[in-house]
Amino acid sequence: MNNLIVSKSMSVALTAFFCIALFVIYLPILVMIIFSFNSGKYQTLPFREPTFEWYVNLIADRSFIESFFTSIVMASLASLAATSLGFFAAYAFSKAKVPLHTLFLGLILCPLVIPIILIGIGIRLQVVSIGIQPALWLVLIGQTLYVLPLAVINLKNRIDKIPNSIEEAAISLGSSRFTSICLILVPICAPTIFATILLTFTFSFDEFVIAYFLTNFEITLPIRIWTSLVTGFEPKINAVGTAVFIFSLTLGLIAQFILLFKQTETQKN
Amino acid sequence: MVGSSNITNPWPFLLPALMLSCLFFLLPTINMIFLSLTSESGIGFGNFRDFFATPHLTQALMRSLLVALFSTVIAGFVAWPLAYFIVFCVKEKWRPLFLLAILAPFWTSFTIRAFSWQLVLSDNGVIAWLIEQLTGLSIALGFLYTMKASVFGLALFGSMLCTFTLYGALVSIDKKVIEAASTLGAKPLQIFRDIILPLGLPGWLAGIVLSFIVCIGDYAVPTLLGGGLKPVLAQIMLSVLKGTYNLSQAATIATILATTVIICAAPLVLLRHIFRRSILA
Repeated sequence: MNNLIVSKSMSVALTAFFCIALFVIYLPILVMIIFSFNSGKYQTLPFREPTFEWYVNLIADRSFIESFFTSIVMASLASLAATSLGFFAAYAFSKAKVPLHTLFLGLILCPLVIPIILIGIGIRLQVVSIGIQPALWLVLIGQTLYVLPLAVINLKNRIDKIPNSIEEAAISLGSSRFTSICLILVPICAPTIFATILLTFTFSFDEFVIAYFLTNFEITLPIRIWTSLVTGFEPKINAVGTAVFIFSLTLGLIAQFILLFKQTETQKN
Repeated sequence: MVGSSNITNPWPFLLPALMLSCLFFLLPTINMIFLSLTSESGIGFGNFRDFFATPHLTQALMRSLLVALFSTVIAGFVAWPLAYFIVFCVKEKWRPLFLLAILAPFWTSFTIRAFSWQLVLSDNGVIAWLIEQLTGLSIALGFLYTMKASVFGLALFGSMLCTFTLYGALVSIDKKVIEAASTLGAKPLQIFRDIILPLGLPGWLAGIVLSFIVCIGDYAVPTLLGGGLKPVLAQIMLSVLKGTYNLSQAATIATILATTVIICAAPLVLLRHIFRRSILA
């Protein structure tokens, strides 16, 4: 069937293009990973002796470890907040007649289609003009706002596909709205909810601009990395980069995997 | 969706999310516009006049526009063959996997990826080293810390975004239509022109708009790859805010950035709308 659309020679060309694209996408990351095991203070080729020195340095560096834990806490809170707010909002949009549906949905999804930098600057200008100092709790709010659209879209897609009859049956048999959500809707959506938590976690864990705008002294890991990148080269930055890359990649891939495969599976059943 | 009888009162479910959006998105936006309109001389467009009378600010705006424009155009072109390959050359079962291969770095830190390009592109980076090994010549690439490098970094990011949205459009094309066209004697090129191109355009345009928005507002790539000598608007905004605490000026720049995004994106969104309607009709 596919040869109707793509001729043999086209198919070869497309395959070649795809391979080149993969190479371009992964080349710098590979280089970074290789450099993270390279001894020698300056990050130039040729490759010298392999070493774990930078990883050891990294673990010994308190500022990195502390900012890592700050990021973990922030991203956990932001992803849980966004997923739960998003779940209820998606439920309302999907299963009720919301007045001004498009307007409200648009408002909630808006942070997705504006430059992220405007979220950060907006909140910062607002709080500074009423005399509040930028702080970590504002980063939490900003990042929740930033990942909320993702949560709403994912969860709304899922809830849209659940027939109303399931819940109606439960309610006509005497279940309360709350019980029917907890015992029916949440279990049905469990894979999607889990994937959404992971995905929003990854996005907020890696988010830099909002955090940079909204905090002065307490720093998250992306800010710590940024400081190191712009103020002068530390060789261990390759090790940090590799660690963060693998960490986020694993979480993101699991989430995407669930969304792309698991979800379609449960729908088939 | 199907039958909306399910819940009668959506507000308890909707209110928390809506409150968050109103308090920390809508309100700050209104406040930002208000701040941009207030200056020492009272309410008016004074700040905007100042902005457009300051060469280095208008230059930064132009730079932001150009960088975003070029990277989006490149991204738009790259997306077609990539999405085409995944949808039409790969078995259905494996498509998500191939898509993930392209998108995977998308889920990881933007900053880290921009930095990793430094290792490759800098004057003593991998490419320069390879050239030296192969030709024996030691040349300065002079690529890093230029606008070209910014465009490169952002185009790469935009390509992923465009490929993703275009993939969504292409994968949902009804294969029966293509089979029918082919049975009636359409060649691959005709199928592309008359079926796939028009059906793919809405998805493609969505990706174009999104990548333009990301590119024009990005701060990390222009700083790490483009350098600080020729700043884009986002870099100016940050230095105003973190350096001088001039709230009105920062608000003015942010408002101008937002307006630029709306002006540039609106025709594309409209175009996409027209395409979708013409397809449905």
